[in-house]
Amino acid sequence: MKAVSILILTLALTASFAQTVITGNVTDTKGAPVSGANVLIEGTYDGTSTDGSGNFEFNSTKTGAAQLLVTFTGFKEHRVDLSLSHVAIELSIVLTEEIRSLEAVTITAGSFTAGDQSRRTIFRAVDIATTAGATADIAGALNTLPGTQKVAEQGRLFVRGGEGHETRTFIDGLNVLEPYSTSAPNTPSRGRFLPFMFKGMSFSTGGYSAEYGQALSSALVLDSKDKAENTRTDFGILSIGGDVGHTHVWNKASIAGKIQYTNLAPYFGLVRQSIDWDRPPTSLDAHIAFRRESGSHGLLKIYGNFNRSNFSMNSQSIDHQNQTSRYDLRNDYHYVNATYKNILSKDWLVRGGASFTNVQTDVRIEGQQVIGEEKALHGKTVLEGSLSDNIEIKTGVEIIHRNYVEQREFASSDSFRELVISGFLESDVYANKHFVARGGLRFEHDAISSRTTADPRFSMAYKMPGSGQFSLAYGHFRQTPRNALLLLRPNLYPEQASHYILSYQRIKNNRTLRIESYYKRYNHLVTYTGGTDNALDNSGYGFAKGVELFWRDNESVDNVDYWITYSFLDTERKYLHFPIQTTPSFASKHNFSIVYKHFVTKIKSQPGFTYSYASGRPYNNPDDNEFNGSRTHSYQDLSVNWSYLPNPSLIIYFSCTNILGRDNVFGYEYSSGLNPQGVHNSRAIRPAAKHFVFVGIFLTLSKEKSVNQLPNL
Amino acid sequence: MKTFNGTFMLTTMAVFFAIGTGMANDNYREVMEKTIAHVYQATDLAQLQDAVNTFERIGLVESRKWEPQYYLAFGYLMMANMEQNAGRKDGFLDRAMKAVTKAKVLAPEESEIIALEGFVYMLRVTVDPGSRGSEFAPRALQTLSKATSLNPENPRALALSAQMLYGSAQFFGTSTAEACEMADKSLKKFSSYKSANVLAPVWGKAIAESLRQKCK
Repeated sequence: MKAVSILILTLALTASFAQTVITGNVTDTKGAPVSGANVLIEGTYDGTSTDGSGNFEFNSTKTGAAQLLVTFTGFKEHRVDLSLSHVAIELSIVLTEEIRSLEAVTITAGSFTAGDQSRRTIFRAVDIATTAGATADIAGALNTLPGTQKVAEQGRLFVRGGEGHETRTFIDGLNVLEPYSTSAPNTPSRGRFLPFMFKGMSFSTGGYSAEYGQALSSALVLDSKDKAENTRTDFGILSIGGDVGHTHVWNKASIAGKIQYTNLAPYFGLVRQSIDWDRPPTSLDAHIAFRRESGSHGLLKIYGNFNRSNFSMNSQSIDHQNQTSRYDLRNDYHYVNATYKNILSKDWLVRGGASFTNVQTDVRIEGQQVIGEEKALHGKTVLEGSLSDNIEIKTGVEIIHRNYVEQREFASSDSFRELVISGFLESDVYANKHFVARGGLRFEHDAISSRTTADPRFSMAYKMPGSGQFSLAYGHFRQTPRNALLLLRPNLYPEQASHYILSYQRIKNNRTLRIESYYKRYNHLVTYTGGTDNALDNSGYGFAKGVELFWRDNESVDNVDYWITYSFLDTERKYLHFPIQTTPSFASKHNFSIVYKHFVTKIKSQPGFTYSYASGRPYNNPDDNEFNGSRTHSYQDLSVNWSYLPNPSLIIYFSCTNILGRDNVFGYEYSSGLNPQGVHNSRAIRPAAKHFVFVGIFLTLSKEKSVNQLPNL
Repeated sequence: MKTFNGTFMLTTMAVFFAIGTGMANDNYREVMEKTIAHVYQATDLAQLQDAVNTFERIGLVESRKWEPQYYLAFGYLMMANMEQNAGRKDGFLDRAMKAVTKAKVLAPEESEIIALEGFVYMLRVTVDPGSRGSEFAPRALQTLSKATSLNPENPRALALSAQMLYGSAQFFGTSTAEACEMADKSLKKFSSYKSANVLAPVWGKAIAESLRQKCK
């Protein structure tokens, strides 16, 4: 009897545990109800979701001190201390928005970012391979974006009135010297790095982060791919050579190697060139990439690029067509880059690495040999993380050591050495989801001249309700003058530039509109002071200003993706041998391009075209009174391409430039002496051939069915 | 009497304690079973959000069990599947992926979790097939084949692979024979499939069946 009563008592007690009723309402800071939020008592299953009006009601079996937790995506977690004692509780909870959520504002002034991941970006890594006229060259494709000028005889990135060398390339944060392959005078060079090595890239046309130094106009930041997923072998047969690559994958590591041989002789045999090649360009190129994961977040990357290229040509004298001089070139390029990154804690990440470059160029003009050799070491460590949920910090130190020696036959050698130690600190402060400001400072200490400098960088962005966003950026940048000038005068100091950028961007339904205007001031440009060749100093200056438009739409028509770019540029500078401040010959006032890609499922192909227009560029006619006072005709090019994917492991690319056969002239060269009529003889600088036709067949072999050429389309 | 009483009290407590812990496990199973049924039957986003919230609550308590994270991910996948807006769809897929990552830490060799990861990539493709297909379609296939290699009996990994292969065969205009064969194989596995416990996933047969229909 007693036993039964105890049992009943115990059961009754257990049942009564379950009875604290908790009710309430969840809203955001503006008072709008939050529906679907998760409301729970920590450490128990007790809880519920808020309904359409933000209301909730549930029971908890817990007694005593407890913590109520409210969570919902896009909001900060909210906790309330409760004491549960069978007495009903009513709560009203206000959730605050998480600042760094997906829809939060990001700084976009001046930069085009191509991510690999699920984020929608304006420009994608795969765009490089499928842009007509670019022939899978990174610079070629980026040249269809605003802020760039067509300088087709060089193939480099000329950004906002800046010279080609003012755009610096970084791989995994580390400096790359000579990112372009060597080419004959007035023929375009190509980037040394294959676009498919990278999972993401950011092309900044100004106002970039304090992390990037030694770049006056632009920073091209390339992120290499992580560990490979599949063992595979790839073959490529190109109209100008061939390649073979193999990737081997282990559980925690992967290694990928690729060897490419290009020889333009057969192609030049078919398509007549205006250059008199003695030995057309050949190149042997090896890439190797090793990846190793350590722990759950650590990643070691080692990358090497080894290249040997050479050619010989005969260049005609301007005055006498049958007088030629022979030009031989051999270039050896070795680049090794090793980086490591790991997380230190939930909020902090450390990354660092070193790169080593060795470039040797052996040029013979009429047998007269000049050997230039450059060795450079770049080391860098960066720590980044968050101080709180609205303050992010990035800081790092860098060291660049560079040595250049030029050895001329029968003459003494010239050389210079550079040692720069730098550090930077940068912070992003979010006021809320709509407003962010970034301030940074970069210090550089030149150990040879013992000069220390500090460059401020500042940017901010405001995201309006809806899809528009305004950004502002300001920064001070510097870059060591190019090697040829430093050889003449090793104590020249860095050239400087200030950027001011105002930008508006709107992304809605896969349609992007961007309008950007900027002003750029150049100081301390290297210029000749007259007299002897060696009389150089840093007294040059200049400016650039412009407005740019970008529109991309891959929404309106099914399977069609196109973008339109217009850049207006007004720039003048007094530098090098310029007697006055004037527009340099690489700058064209108007640049316009349309890139169109259409995927046609039925024929498994993606045809496309690129039309480019650049208004006439200045050139200097010595018989004209005005320096750089003459203008070429406009540059126009219509290029087409076709990518065909007959089956999953095979892709065929075809591309042809200038299908309309326009006679583009980049400028004029003049002889040094006067002809009998008392003027200088001249010769137009033209492309070596009207068209460049490229055909490539790429085959992938892998045991895994899923590995195929789709990623390359 | 006193001794008897004391012994009786001890026994009652022991039994009660046993019932108590038994109840905790039962409660886990019961709530999971009920919520899993909710996910399978949900017809709108609110119902799914409610189920997903429940899995999240269970997951916070049962931090060593992979199933709550698995179904949390599955619930978000269903939400992504229902959502038309690309940005929100990606948001659901991000959350699904987060739960998959947690589940993978708890049970690294579980084929079902890897199959779900493959499913996340499949749905990533649907957000923007033109630009994403190239990256996520191969990744989905790779992940699904990894799930199959972890457990060749997993019918869901086979059904999803079959669907991917079917789509790819249609795209390239090649024979769908392989995809259909795999759908068959998946159906066979579905009929012989013995779930490890009441909480084991049972979805996916409809995918294989509808493919089978197309294959005829």
